[in-house]
Amino acid sequence: MDIGSLKKLSDLSYDIAVAKRNALEKANSRLVVVYNEHIFRADPETINLVKTLSEVHTSPLYVLDSNKNPVEIPDPLEFLQVLIQRNQEAISSYHQMSKTFEKRND
Amino acid sequence: MTRGLLLFCFDTPETKYHKVLEYCVLLAKKNLKLPITVVTNLNTFKKIKPLGFINYKFIDPETGNTKLGKEWNNVDRHMAYELSPYDTTLVIDIDYFCFTDNLAQLFNTNYDFLVPDTAYDLTGRNAFDQRRWSMIPMVWATVLLFKKNDRVKKIFDTVKYIKQYYSYFNEMYRIYASNLRNDYLFAMALQQINGFTGYDKLPFALPTLPPDCEVVKITDNGLAWKYGDQISYVEDQDVHVLNKEMSNV
Repeated sequence: MDIGSLKKLSDLSYDIAVAKRNALEKANSRLVVVYNEHIFRADPETINLVKTLSEVHTSPLYVLDSNKNPVEIPDPLEFLQVLIQRNQEAISSYHQMSKTFEKRND
Repeated sequence: MTRGLLLFCFDTPETKYHKVLEYCVLLAKKNLKLPITVVTNLNTFKKIKPLGFINYKFIDPETGNTKLGKEWNNVDRHMAYELSPYDTTLVIDIDYFCFTDNLAQLFNTNYDFLVPDTAYDLTGRNAFDQRRWSMIPMVWATVLLFKKNDRVKKIFDTVKYIKQYYSYFNEMYRIYASNLRNDYLFAMALQQINGFTGYDKLPFALPTLPPDCEVVKITDNGLAWKYGDQISYVEDQDVHVLNKEMSNV
């Protein structure tokens, strides 16, 4: 490979790496969700916690918000739906974006 | 309970901030769908193109502050509490472009004062994760959400007090920035009001373009920038643009 091609490939890789990193950050921003007047992140940890507690604990549930403040959740299944919906919205958008990265590599 | 967006905009001899405001308002109307109040002066107001129904408040900006040797009229943020006509107010810098509705949902919380404390460098260089000399963590007063109540009034009163004796507090907290920054004013006020124990924050980092990135295109959905010989872009993601030359895009 000549030096020109190497530079071109390196620039493209840098470009894709930055775009991928930004797309992930975009998804992270979108994971922030407000429920019952508190702020949560619809991340796997929160979803797993709410799912587990809703299966083995009677309502209401008590969880911590993004600032570690306790929140009462009267309807855990509704909360779980909100979390899953927001999580999948953010991650599917990231997934769509990642497809464009693959095309740029071709 | 009223809700709205408060913006501050003052042209300087070097920078047409009203151009930046026009982008900001168009995006905020589209994505946040909130009533908007712009705090400005008559000279700037005369240059702003018609933006639909906007509430304007006129003040004479306090001058004397500079950034990179240029006039920088940004020290009136401490008056946001008095100037806002809303019960709950979102204040954003006019160079923060809302390409999403992410901020709108924050009105539905029971928090009375929220501010982010981290910024995310969109160029991938982590330019904002530098060594911290100051004794307290900085906040990014680029985005503030507050409700009018006694506690929040005291936060703004403390900001005013710290601003009045800024050089003293700068020394005390080992803040080496020579110009006045709202970020430090609010960081110091929040530390003091909260008994030096921390405070509630917005749980995301502000996506930010460092000053050495040149914005080359803005659309309804995102923007493109040039850094070195690279062109990059983001879509459907809020962006804080630090290079004010974008007023010429």
